[in-house]
Amino acid sequence: MPAHACYSYPVTDLAILLFTLRVAATSTALIAPIALVLAALTWQAGARLRALIDAAATLPLVLPPTAVGFVLLAIFSRRRPAGALLARLGVGFLFTPRAVVLAAAVMSFPLVFMAFRAAIDSSEIRYFQIARTLGLGSIRAFIRVTLPLAWRGILGGIILGFCRAIGEFGATILIAGNIPGRTQTLALAIYNRVESGHEGDAVLLLIYVVLIALTSLIGSEVLIRRQQRRLSS
Amino acid sequence: MIEIDLRLPLVHFELEVRCKLEASVTAVVGPSGSGKTSLLEALAGLRGRAKGRIAIDGALLLDSDGRIALPPEARGIGYVPQDAALFPHLTARENIRFARNDADRFDALVATLELAPLLDRRPATLSGGERQRVALARALMTEPRLLLLDEPLASIDQPLRDKILVYLRRIRDIQRAPMLYVTHQPFEALALASDCLVLRDGRIVAQGSPDSVMHDPAITGSAAIENVFHAIDPRHDATRGITRVSTAEGIELVLPHDQLAAATFPLVVRISGDDIVVLGERPAAISSRNVLEGSVIALHVGEGIADVTFATPARIHVRLTRDAAEDLRLGIGSRVWLALRSRAFRIVG
Repeated sequence: MPAHACYSYPVTDLAILLFTLRVAATSTALIAPIALVLAALTWQAGARLRALIDAAATLPLVLPPTAVGFVLLAIFSRRRPAGALLARLGVGFLFTPRAVVLAAAVMSFPLVFMAFRAAIDSSEIRYFQIARTLGLGSIRAFIRVTLPLAWRGILGGIILGFCRAIGEFGATILIAGNIPGRTQTLALAIYNRVESGHEGDAVLLLIYVVLIALTSLIGSEVLIRRQQRRLSS
Repeated sequence: MIEIDLRLPLVHFELEVRCKLEASVTAVVGPSGSGKTSLLEALAGLRGRAKGRIAIDGALLLDSDGRIALPPEARGIGYVPQDAALFPHLTARENIRFARNDADRFDALVATLELAPLLDRRPATLSGGERQRVALARALMTEPRLLLLDEPLASIDQPLRDKILVYLRRIRDIQRAPMLYVTHQPFEALALASDCLVLRDGRIVAQGSPDSVMHDPAITGSAAIENVFHAIDPRHDATRGITRVSTAEGIELVLPHDQLAAATFPLVVRISGDDIVVLGERPAAISSRNVLEGSVIALHVGEGIADVTFATPARIHVRLTRDAAEDLRLGIGSRVWLALRSRAFRIVG
């Protein structure tokens, strides 16, 4: 890991911010559909299958992020089939921006999945059933009735996942390193600067992180209120 | 014809219903927890554990032996649950057009159920009765081959109930889909249905005409003392303040003109069995405009009360104190006169 010993950084703070936002947006966009399908499947599944999917989907939440990073490192190492296949295809993976996205995706997946599941669970199944008696198959009934009713929780899950991806650290540093201009996110840059004794340089990054979180949370609240007003008018 | 042979395990008992339904409206009555809603949900295909056989006009919806179990969307059964379950994120118009965009049918239903002023409102702003009408239109848009109604009047205040009942009768007469109508109210069964199932602990304990079933204390527990007549052929006499009507039940009635002047016939009128006076002899002069001669055909004497059914020839059900019944020396075959005040009738519409 390259250590920063000087005060001039190779990448601007704004570039780090934009890279982090791009990583978080990509990883959230990747996992949201998967989490939604899985949450929908558990909604209709029997208790045993539901428990199994729950356990598998939430595992990264309870494991240390470095442990998850270690598992990913093992999977995508060139000595393993997945890593070897990617290498043969000429796709670099470990210590690339792709690895940053994967780490963020894996680590934020449980939160997104849990939020989606709670949202779908709380949208009454009766509406879904009535839609089916009106002639809609289960997928269409889910899309036209359950999803619009669960949208607040879905939005909450997306924001939670996005914020979690912004803050991802442990798994990222193991599979993507902390390479300025290549894999360094806000969280990694803050760590770098504080560790090297330049706390002052980390303040702006800290402000960025706080602003992103606040904007996301307030933005979702505004959207929810607006929709609630529309429903009761 | 609807053939039902259904088994469905519930928490406290197994629903086990076997019947054939041919009436345009069949009322399903029974105490709370007797399996009425479960029966409707099983018919609609919402209870995956239901076993047995369901066929509508020979078409199989469920046949456990033949491994047929059509999903709800393939059954063609309209279901209106007790609280209407309108989709809260859609307006009344969007709810009604949810499944189909048939403009002609939409316009016809909006006219029949008088929904035009409600179309752009969301369910949260509709009253209980308005929601029921929208839910009814939504179910009817799909042209169901069977319509299931689960206590559609339960959450509606009394003055509005009669109004909704008028809409339901209109639907019954205009739409060809047979209805299964769950209710707690004997009056609704009497006013709407021509067949009645009594469910208790998941089993049918009686099936027959609402009049015979709903007035039998042995079947319904405490007998319903409600008399319903389907009035036709009005002859108005505004000067004397009366309207004479014939009834489908075979008797002539005199009703208050002011309440009927603007009414559309045929209509339903009702009178409570508590509001009928029984006389041992023909009265020489009396203010009641309806005095009918009849004889006792059924008598149930209970704790302090006597429920008596008279043939006039229409059946009329009266609840008396036991003291009054003994004073009149009522027994099967006793001849009496019944006085029904015109203004004691409620005009349902």
